[in-house]
Amino acid sequence: MNTNVETFKYDNRIVRAFAIATVIWGIVGMSVGLLAAVQLFFPDANLNLQFITFGRIRPLHTNAVIFAFVGNGMFMGIYYSLQRLCKARLFSDFISWFHFWGWQTIIVAAAITLPIGFTTSKEYAELEWPIKIAIAVVWVAFTVNLIGTILKRREKHMYVAIWFYLATALTVAVLHITNSMTMPAGWFKSYSMYAGVQDALVQWWYGHNAVAFFLTTPYLGLMYYFLPKAANRPIFSYRLSIIHFWALIFLYIWAGPHHLLYTALPDWAQSLGMVFSLMLIAPSWGGMLNGLLTLRGAWDKVRQDPVLKFMVVAVTAYGMATLEGPVMAIKTVNSLSHYTDWTIAHAHSGALGWNGFLTFSMLYYLFPRLYRTNLWSTKLANYHFWIGLLGMMFYVISIYVAGITEGLMWKQFTKDGFLQYPNFLETIVQVVPMFRLRAIGGTLYLLGTFMMAYNLYRTAKAGQFEPDTEAQAAPLEKTSAVVHGKLSWHRLLEGKPLLFTVLSLVAVLIGGIVEIIPMYLIKQNVPTIASVHPYTPLEVLGRDLYIREGCLGCHSQMIRPFRSETERYGEYSKAGEFVYDHPFLWGSERKGPDLAREGGKYPDAWHYNHMDDPRATSPGSIMPRYSWLLTQQLDTTSLPSRLAALRRVGVPYPAGYENGPAQKDLQAQAEKVVADLKLGSITAEPDREIIALIAYLQRLGTDIKSAPAAITSAAK
Amino acid sequence: MEQKVMSGIGGVGIYGIVSICIFFAFFTVTLWWAFRLKKDHLKHMEDLPFDGGEIDSTDKSQPTQL
Repeated sequence: MNTNVETFKYDNRIVRAFAIATVIWGIVGMSVGLLAAVQLFFPDANLNLQFITFGRIRPLHTNAVIFAFVGNGMFMGIYYSLQRLCKARLFSDFISWFHFWGWQTIIVAAAITLPIGFTTSKEYAELEWPIKIAIAVVWVAFTVNLIGTILKRREKHMYVAIWFYLATALTVAVLHITNSMTMPAGWFKSYSMYAGVQDALVQWWYGHNAVAFFLTTPYLGLMYYFLPKAANRPIFSYRLSIIHFWALIFLYIWAGPHHLLYTALPDWAQSLGMVFSLMLIAPSWGGMLNGLLTLRGAWDKVRQDPVLKFMVVAVTAYGMATLEGPVMAIKTVNSLSHYTDWTIAHAHSGALGWNGFLTFSMLYYLFPRLYRTNLWSTKLANYHFWIGLLGMMFYVISIYVAGITEGLMWKQFTKDGFLQYPNFLETIVQVVPMFRLRAIGGTLYLLGTFMMAYNLYRTAKAGQFEPDTEAQAAPLEKTSAVVHGKLSWHRLLEGKPLLFTVLSLVAVLIGGIVEIIPMYLIKQNVPTIASVHPYTPLEVLGRDLYIREGCLGCHSQMIRPFRSETERYGEYSKAGEFVYDHPFLWGSERKGPDLAREGGKYPDAWHYNHMDDPRATSPGSIMPRYSWLLTQQLDTTSLPSRLAALRRVGVPYPAGYENGPAQKDLQAQAEKVVADLKLGSITAEPDREIIALIAYLQRLGTDIKSAPAAITSAAK
Repeated sequence: MEQKVMSGIGGVGIYGIVSICIFFAFFTVTLWWAFRLKKDHLKHMEDLPFDGGEIDSTDKSQPTQL
């Protein structure tokens, strides 16, 4: 035994910094979410300002709560627990603070650029390429700090929480880099390297695993540390935690295609996504039960301790969300739930319950310890618990009702075989009262967060911050993985964190490789359609405006092969229609009708009036006004760089097209739109943004309409 | 039976069967590994969160009196 005990200090400053950032960004992210929620029943709540209109602040809300609130909460918990589990100060104070300030700078950059309209449109990956590079750099810093701390640890064994942290660091890096492959077309504009179906698959492989490896695995690691600490008893079954870890990280990566069921994605990829999603129930529930059973014999504590109360609800919400997710991945269920608010309810039961409540519990646990005092008010924390729970229930239940109502109404036929609700608006007007209830739920949840912020502030004022905590431990002795003459694989893996890391990465990558590589190698996966042509220059700029305004937050461009959809929208979407779509714009939610066959449905003048005041053409519509599109000048100076970038990613524009001919084509098409508008008694300038947007909307789906039989297979 | 079910999926090719096989092999190895672990080792691992090495007389591993 090593008797050479060393004294060292744990860094509490960095934990406090991330804790404060968690509270601040939590309030910001939830407030933005509330503003977005209010606009769904009161569209004028945007004050006719483009910067706070739903389409632009929806990604701001999702990015803020995921990467700012949960992200900071994750780093707070990891840096606190990692030091104590490794019996070592963090690897480098400099890297810790670089990580902290780098992450906050990225969040501020997101808060500025997303309202301006700089977005890639890919969900949870909206930030433009310079910020994406910054994310990669800061994430590498975090990973170095994590692995560096593990390497200098004084505890021989790596507790299971650290396994989850390692898997998080590595997988998020792989996901972020793979999904961020874009071609810059200026400082804040880029086009995805992938097109259509491939882009969709990569995006949802990323999107689903952002949920898995940013919102789930790190928080499971934190659960395995903080729940036993708060309950003052060890985890129910360490064996189960090992199975939980390996099965979860192996399975999660396969499940992404369940976001694309019944779309133009090849059937085999959809089915793999569904099967692996169902299998995910087993490890997820294993983890949930492991957490809840840890409280065996300690339920009396749960009644008194707000920390444990929040944890119990968090773990229960994890169990509910991870049962519901696989159920929603069953194709028949998905045919009803997809594009409806059911998905939003599912996401929020996980976000508000699992991530939100576990973050609150960690904050209530840490502040008294960091400030060496008791929590200022247990009563206020209990009020927070109940008001937060009530808010969550109001939010989730109302949106479940809305989602199922939408799904059923979209599919309802009369006995004569016609759509019962052929006007999409009827289905939205029906659920607007649920949107109001949702906003009440969100308000309550936010109110609870304010109460927590005040309670933590008073706790900090009452106590004295301990910047460093002194600790003692013996340095790590070199040990052999051979126990009693036999090689112990478990000891070998735990003793060699780098080997462990590589094996985790391999487990994670298998699913991604099996799903994504065939998509690129097998041409028959994307049959080409001879009549599909690249967008014209004006349509390219119009499409970019569609992306800037976040139209895909409410409008899908993917007609699924159901009679209820083909009757309402037209012929179902084919993979070959999207070969020039960088990025794909299929969307994941319908607050308005699908636009895949929008071209030619209405005259140009209708679109002009609709954008100016949606309720003038569609009474009861909840779409915001886009009157600024009518007055703002279209930026054509960036056209050459945009077309050149698109050519580099594979769109077959002729060489030199962007230097002259493209501008002429753009002017000619704009003049044609202006002439069409005149037929509707509208006088418009050809250089306004609305002209480009109308050109794009009128193009949608027309390639197929003009030549429905011209499908060829590239495999031939 | 698995082959019959998997062959019903359009264009699945060899990938589906290989995927399921890989997972079951992986899961079996994980189970075998977890159940071979010694009880004293598991006990040591379970207790790690409670041995943070802090030398302060105040026991901060205990939940603060709230």
